[in-house]
Amino acid sequence: MTTTIFPRILTVRIQPALAVASIVGALVATAMALLWAPPDANQGEVQRIMYVHVPSAWLAYLAFVVVFLASVGWLWSRRPVFDAVAVASAEIGVLFTGLALVSGSIWAKPTWGVWWTWEPRLITTAVMFVMYVGYLLLRSLSTDMDRRATRAAVVGIVAVLNVPIVHLSVTWMNALHQLPTVLRAGGAPAIDERMLATLIVGVVAFTLLYAWMLLARVSIERQRQERVMREQA
Amino acid sequence: MSVARRPRRSSSGVGERRLLVLTALALAVGIGYVALRDLGSSAVYYLTPTEARERNTVPGTTARLGGQVEPGSLRYDETARDLRFIMTDGVTRVLVIGRGAPPALLREGAGAVVEGRFAPDGSFLADQVIAKHDEVYVPPAPSQTPPHRTP
Repeated sequence: MTTTIFPRILTVRIQPALAVASIVGALVATAMALLWAPPDANQGEVQRIMYVHVPSAWLAYLAFVVVFLASVGWLWSRRPVFDAVAVASAEIGVLFTGLALVSGSIWAKPTWGVWWTWEPRLITTAVMFVMYVGYLLLRSLSTDMDRRATRAAVVGIVAVLNVPIVHLSVTWMNALHQLPTVLRAGGAPAIDERMLATLIVGVVAFTLLYAWMLLARVSIERQRQERVMREQA
Repeated sequence: MSVARRPRRSSSGVGERRLLVLTALALAVGIGYVALRDLGSSAVYYLTPTEARERNTVPGTTARLGGQVEPGSLRYDETARDLRFIMTDGVTRVLVIGRGAPPALLREGAGAVVEGRFAPDGSFLADQVIAKHDEVYVPPAPSQTPPHRTP
């Protein structure tokens, strides 16, 4: 039995590089968000929460799409690395969905005037959060690695429907949440250039952070898989 | 290569499983399409004043109204904690009466959502007033003091 559980270059070279890049990115994004970007004409300083809120929501989308792809990969090829990627990405996705909900709530209180309201974007995001918590719980129901991976993969594929539902929920009739600013249908982003630049740096920094966390978590999961295989052999 | 690679069963088993995966994916896309289409047309967070009137919303039952704060209509009496404004959708105007300070972003000409119930006289008694803001972000004009700035 060979022991190349995870390409060494990923953990030895790329993982530390990603760590440095995401920390530098986070520092730059913080400085830009707090010092360089102007406040909003309507909302004032509190609008700066956007630079945490939007990248968090973006990571939630990204993480759950990766869970979907890894789930398809597992069902297609039965290579355990796909299951490791799926669980790693789902955990990170739940974390950042939670962050998006919390930062959104903190943003909503001084602007909308409420911490929470049963509005389409908020409901669908809460549903997405609960479904992926359920996905993680489901994974602990079976000790058989193959069975667990297959069951999880089915949920991982179905649950990705949450992503377009959450994203499009603001375009439904009579929502409270504002429409997409950057990815809006027809026309340039409706945002000041410095705000947009700050937002983009934030999204890039969060994405690097995601890649770092994913790599670290996948390598732990691969070691765990190898240990279980050895015990069962 | 990967250590935990499972020994392949027969090649026909793999083909069958992959067919199943493709079928499941197609099914998921179909369900997703229908769900998105129907959710979009049936999910209503609030009614406009005109819709509320058309549905004959009974006084006393809980309702959520959304519309624009009519310019010139916003009044807040701090001692009585009495908030009043006209909510309009361009067709129907409703007098909204609330208690307590309005959210900082509640502006004349901007959007608002109110939760509460109609009084018998047709005015709306709001338990909660929510300000709605748009997706446009711009810095304040040079002379303008942005809100929420501590002096």
